[in-house]
Amino acid sequence: MPTITTDLTTRSRSATERARFAVAVASGRLAATASRLLGRGSGTAIKGAVMLRVDPRALPQLLADKHLAMVSGTNGKTTTTHFLAAAVRAGLDPGGKRVVHNADGANLHGGITAALSDRRGATWAIIETDERVVADLIRVGRPEVLVLLNFSRDQLDRHHEIKALGRSWRNALAAAGADGPIVVANADEPLVVWAAQTARQVVWVDTATTWTQDASLCPQCGALLLRTQPDETGGHGGHWRCSGCELAQPPASYRVVDGRIVDPDGQVLEPHLQVPGAFNVSNAACAMAAAAQLGISSETALLGMRTVTSPAGRFATMRFGDTTARLLLAKNPAGWAEALPLAQTREVVLAIDSAAADGRDVSWLWDVAYEQLAGRTVIATGPRAQDLAVRLAYAGVEHRCVPDLADALAGHAEPVDVIATYTPFQRLRKMGGV
Amino acid sequence: MAAPSRAPIEVVLVYQSLLGIYGDRGNATVLTKRLQWRGYEARLTGVEPGDPLPDTGQVYLLGGGEDAAQISAVKALRRDGGLERAVGRGAAVFAVCAGYQIIGSSFTVGEHDEVTEGLGLLDVTTTRGPVRAVGEILTRWRGRDGDDALLTGFENHGGYTTLGSSATPLADVEVGIGNAGDGTEGAVSGTVIGTYPHGPVLARNPALADHLLQLALGEELAPLPRPEITELRRQRLAAARRR
Repeated sequence: MPTITTDLTTRSRSATERARFAVAVASGRLAATASRLLGRGSGTAIKGAVMLRVDPRALPQLLADKHLAMVSGTNGKTTTTHFLAAAVRAGLDPGGKRVVHNADGANLHGGITAALSDRRGATWAIIETDERVVADLIRVGRPEVLVLLNFSRDQLDRHHEIKALGRSWRNALAAAGADGPIVVANADEPLVVWAAQTARQVVWVDTATTWTQDASLCPQCGALLLRTQPDETGGHGGHWRCSGCELAQPPASYRVVDGRIVDPDGQVLEPHLQVPGAFNVSNAACAMAAAAQLGISSETALLGMRTVTSPAGRFATMRFGDTTARLLLAKNPAGWAEALPLAQTREVVLAIDSAAADGRDVSWLWDVAYEQLAGRTVIATGPRAQDLAVRLAYAGVEHRCVPDLADALAGHAEPVDVIATYTPFQRLRKMGGV
Repeated sequence: MAAPSRAPIEVVLVYQSLLGIYGDRGNATVLTKRLQWRGYEARLTGVEPGDPLPDTGQVYLLGGGEDAAQISAVKALRRDGGLERAVGRGAAVFAVCAGYQIIGSSFTVGEHDEVTEGLGLLDVTTTRGPVRAVGEILTRWRGRDGDDALLTGFENHGGYTTLGSSATPLADVEVGIGNAGDGTEGAVSGTVIGTYPHGPVLARNPALADHLLQLALGEELAPLPRPEITELRRQRLAAARRR
């Protein structure tokens, strides 16, 4: 991970510096074009990487004249960033030309740099940010708003301790002090609450999260966390407090209650979103709170968010030959707990891989309640389909193992829901043209 | 298969919230299902810190966890005393990764390598190793022949474990790091087994799962062929050997 060490004083750039930046932009474009011509993808990441190689200050320079809002967390950051970008367009930018957004989910230094360079005249930058990049971007980008969604175990072969990421956020917010962002933070997540505590101002959102399995110990003192029982029917996520210190769930100014959003004025808003799932109502509540910090009313923010249909291919319905398939992404046990209940078709396709971006260790399969699929037929696909087949055998779920993605998708008379880990998800998007 | 008429076999999953980071509950799923598939009645009991460990279990399972969770777990288990009692009456204990470390004599955690006393159920000590062991691991189970002897899993641990004189290695490493890069993997003492691979390990290695059940039941079990597992083992063995 490159670290950008330069600070953000671009007003007195020299002619050399300006020239270097221009060369960086041109080289990046060239690399992206070459990548596209070679069929290696959109070229977004390579473009940004080349730009940063030529001019390491390209990212702070691109952000220097922007109002920056960032979104991070383990799950939901792409959709939430789309929500927030749509809310900003609805509230501040009816022409749609003054918002720049890394819409395809390229959220490391390179991807963010490339996205920003595509619309350099924009006023607002709404940026999905990988958990590992948050601290750096707080420092060099001076965000006005930072949305922190959740922390969950993910890719443990690379991230051994999720607490280290939380600590990096906490330290960066402390260092930013009065110049730091207003943080919109999920009050249901103990590690997010602890990380956000050092921010100059926090807007807490009670997201009614039901997933609690990745937060057993207090991030501050290590004692066991106590919880009131979450209501699995989606009514309420329960509350938490530490058994050993004063850390506890803070009172929230935005709340998700029975699938509706209650804003600080006490307005009860029906989301009527086009993307499914209770967790997306939680994401919308966070985006609404962030939009309010930019001066956008709850109603206007929602009008924008209702235009979001399939952020970076999530929840997209596509055709594979004669088969109609809806595509869902799930990257970790928390994500699967959200996605599995959405899969309602009689046959369900589950695609598993263990490439670097998926995490090389698929032991998490045993933390997902595949038992709920009993009575339906699962088609296990992807390079690690066999691991899933064994899991399904022990879950008592009828299944077929079809490792090739195209074969698994072929010839379904009825629509199928597909849930995929990151790498097969991206391949399926490409195959389906979304 | 005739269903033996006896009380349910109780599998105890210890502190899933602290020691369950690598799908370790899968080992409990595997053991209870393999009993049920053979016509036994099986009961899975999950225990969290603060609740007493039942004195009625035949198999106790511990899994992996982060440093702070490991410390919490060892404190709670020492206060409880139930795991020591279980070993005393001959129950089987199967401990993976952090679970393996905490049932040893001592282990270190944190940036300053503070030494923490373990439960002493296995004569092993763990200290921080030179490189974190992360990846597919393949070992040969001592005293076993044929395909059953090959144990496949995924290891992910920073601690390296040294065996004392009263513990013997579970297996010898073919691919991976194992205990300490010394060619050995895991440790056995009576009915207590510690090992690094998860995966979870009993899903990938049905012979090891059945061995634990035989320790618990005190009787031989007939093999239970499942084509999915045979194929998964073929794939994982090939993947480990490609490394």
